[in-house]
Amino acid sequence: MSAVAAYFRNIREATLTVFDGMSVSLSYLFRKPITVQYPDRTPQPILDMIPEGYRGILDVKTEICTACMACMRTCPVQVINIVVEKVGDPPKRMLTHFGINVAKCMFCGLCSESCPTGAIYHSKEFEGASSRFDDLVRFFVDQPVVPYKPPKTEKPEAGETPAATNGEPT
Amino acid sequence: MPEELTINGPDNMLLNMGPQHPSTHGVIRFVLETDGEVVAKATPVVGYLHRGVEKIATELTYSQFMPISDRLDYVASMCGNLAWCEAVERMAGIEVPRRAQFLRVIAAELNRISSHLVAVGSFCNDVGGVTPLVVALREREAINDILELLSGARLTYNYMRLGGVSRDMSDKCRQDTAAFLDHFPPALDEFNRLITYNKIFIKRLADIAVVTQEEAKAYGLNGPNLRGSGIRFDLRRNDPYSVYPELDFEIPVGEGFAGQVGDCYDRYMVRINEMYESVKIVRQCLEMMPDGELTSKVARVLKIKAGERYTRTESARGEMGIYIVSKGDKTPYRVRVRTSSYSALSIFEKLSPGLMIADLVAVIGSFDIVAPEIDR
Amino acid sequence: MRFFADSLIETWPFLQGWPPWLVYTLVMFAFGAVVLFGFVSLFAGIVTVVERRIAARMQFRIGPNRVGYQGCLQWLADGIKNFTKEDLTPAGASKMLYLFAPYLVFTGLFLTFVALPFGQALVISDLNVGIFYILAVSSFVTVGLVLAGWASNNKWALLGGIRSAAQIVSYEIPTGLAVLTVVLMSGTLSTQGIISSQGIWPWDWFASANPFAFIIFIIFFISTLAEGNRVPFDLPEAESELVAGYNVEYSGMRFVFFFFAEYANLFVMGALTAILFFGGWNSPFNWSTSLFGLFPQPLEVSGTLFFMTKALSFVVLIIWLRWTLPRLRVDQLMVVCWQYLTPIAFVCMLGTAFWMVGAHRWGALDYVKYPIFLFGVFLVLAMAARTVRNIRLVGDPVDLNPFQ
Repeated sequence: MSAVAAYFRNIREATLTVFDGMSVSLSYLFRKPITVQYPDRTPQPILDMIPEGYRGILDVKTEICTACMACMRTCPVQVINIVVEKVGDPPKRMLTHFGINVAKCMFCGLCSESCPTGAIYHSKEFEGASSRFDDLVRFFVDQPVVPYKPPKTEKPEAGETPAATNGEPT
Repeated sequence: MPEELTINGPDNMLLNMGPQHPSTHGVIRFVLETDGEVVAKATPVVGYLHRGVEKIATELTYSQFMPISDRLDYVASMCGNLAWCEAVERMAGIEVPRRAQFLRVIAAELNRISSHLVAVGSFCNDVGGVTPLVVALREREAINDILELLSGARLTYNYMRLGGVSRDMSDKCRQDTAAFLDHFPPALDEFNRLITYNKIFIKRLADIAVVTQEEAKAYGLNGPNLRGSGIRFDLRRNDPYSVYPELDFEIPVGEGFAGQVGDCYDRYMVRINEMYESVKIVRQCLEMMPDGELTSKVARVLKIKAGERYTRTESARGEMGIYIVSKGDKTPYRVRVRTSSYSALSIFEKLSPGLMIADLVAVIGSFDIVAPEIDR
Repeated sequence: MRFFADSLIETWPFLQGWPPWLVYTLVMFAFGAVVLFGFVSLFAGIVTVVERRIAARMQFRIGPNRVGYQGCLQWLADGIKNFTKEDLTPAGASKMLYLFAPYLVFTGLFLTFVALPFGQALVISDLNVGIFYILAVSSFVTVGLVLAGWASNNKWALLGGIRSAAQIVSYEIPTGLAVLTVVLMSGTLSTQGIISSQGIWPWDWFASANPFAFIIFIIFFISTLAEGNRVPFDLPEAESELVAGYNVEYSGMRFVFFFFAEYANLFVMGALTAILFFGGWNSPFNWSTSLFGLFPQPLEVSGTLFFMTKALSFVVLIIWLRWTLPRLRVDQLMVVCWQYLTPIAFVCMLGTAFWMVGAHRWGALDYVKYPIFLFGVFLVLAMAARTVRNIRLVGDPVDLNPFQ
């Protein structure tokens, strides 16, 4: 008898659960899609939709770079290359090369955290696609630059550095 | 001819499943020996995603390895972060501020939910239902948004630091998390009505690939796969770390929801129930989280005195154990990572005889195998 | 068709010099070609877009909406893309059979359109064994699928082909029994005859004729799902198990043949259900048009509209099921067929026969059709109520705009 009961229970359960599942998928039909029609039909410019503190492609403000090379040392995958040379007459310590290989970068954020002035920071830019590999290595120093010297009296505070406005607590 | 490629039966055929197969969840290869649809033997072949993470670890300082620990298991990066943090901090004796502890637990539990969503979603996709996958990914998207606000990235978060976390939780992030916690349980109920209680789904999974308690222990299964066999073992309870002892949550185990204890459906249900528990944990953490420091003082280049230690944490897939040997340098001498997908893979040769190809796909899904975690 | 040809001869005098059999044959061929290449291809293409849009909305997505207005030309773009793709033949394939298989599938499906009545006069040929003919020619599809699977020299494709053979051959039986029950009720094998023996109103249709007929309608619907390789019976394709099953090696236009055949089959399934159980082209109105003088005699179109609406509702129902349910396993597929559908279909066929005898004796049994119709209405309302409840329980924002 139990086999017969199981037979009809199977039919009943299958019918009811399929009916229930269909009602769920039908109710999905009437809900608002969550698709963001990137890039051409977004509700607002895509850069405004990216939250604060997003770790995008690295950018450097060479005017406040102290050339301390903390970022270069802390990078786990050797993405950053900084060259400091004595240039000119009299020889002066100058920042002559600052390159970032975006193709190799894994956007971990360790460099921007170790930067004392916030010169290297994550921009919100994320559209790094390029048809040329060379475009992915970015250089930030054209002419040799005198490294920035932070004022002795005040230490750079959290609220002042660009990194901090980028959502980075110290 | 390698041993794995020989055929035993006279009518059997050799079938290569993977490395590029939609249901192997990454680049894993199964060499199947089948008699028509019935599998006589399934041999997993691993190594297609080997990246040498353990070797990389010996070249980097302890803090530099943090972003690499994301990549151990990229579906649950926070758990990898947490495992590495716990391992190094316990070895170096670093105290972590309480607020940071709570933030870590929130992040890890949210990530556990998102990882389980991927697991159950792709599992449903393997069994043939496409909509549940997308529904699960929609919920995961909300978690991704929250973790993006918290850490700045959507997949490989690199949120935790030795001695704390990198950022504080903003008000918006907190509100979004609370909103998600309100929205998620009913949405998961609805997901259950859509697929979990479906008779076809149950018929496909019940009594398939039953792993008994003894087998589960013998093959070293852990995490949800172990609990699916009815063993109440969770490192968050049995070897507690961080603030888990203070939190009130259940450890769901397989109870034979539709068939025998330890079948595919039980492993699936354990994951579904764990998501409800994780919601509870995150809720409690949001309430209990004190104000305070985010990180304790840790040397920028940490040196750990010579010694070795094995630390294990409960990742979304089970035990993630990290074994560090230090010789007192700024880099570890040797790092070994124990992941649960690898041990789950070992039971396939035992389970597969007699299954059909469709069952094998479901079994791979039910063990929630993630390829990068196997090969590292 | 004959009266249509006759009227053409009357209107266009130059035809009067021709032998009538030639005119008839030409008219048949022309009409068939129009149906095949105009209607079926267009329909299959558009249904792909509709299915993708519906599936997308069921998954919180939008779907293809860029090619043409709201993506209505997406199928054309896909077709052009596939035209330009390389037609690969895998190494070791049985070349002739491999190239031939898609045409067999294509032919088998398109032949069924010969006996599908779109209106009182709109049928290519009202065969007196119409429904039998449809069942017969649709078996071509099986041969095509098995050939495709075998000739591809791919084990996954082979498994798909074998699955398809086992599945379609098994499910012919409940389908046949269901059709037999309808034939029992209508007393004819002709599709036109089956339609005209049903009434205009829902309670006069065969689906609500008696309780057994209602069950046999469900059985027929499930079996056609299996014969058309649709979820939950899409085992021959099973993209998560067999990658793509029998058509895994096909590319370019040959793949499109399979694809179009699948979607044409979708329509055949819906149309057959509408013809056998839902009154076909029966309509309470009588709108005629000669389509701006193109046709010499006014053509009755309201029936065609009703028929298309019914058939397309079933197409949507099939799409809806596809995006809800998981897939059965091979052995379970057979269990469903042989343990559930076939015995129940037998019981229902006998039940219908006895019911007809009983209704002949006691006329009151005829009134059962009203409760059955009300039960159908109740099902629809229950579905609506549950849907509303689901939306309320989760509280997601609702968006009824289909054009995003």
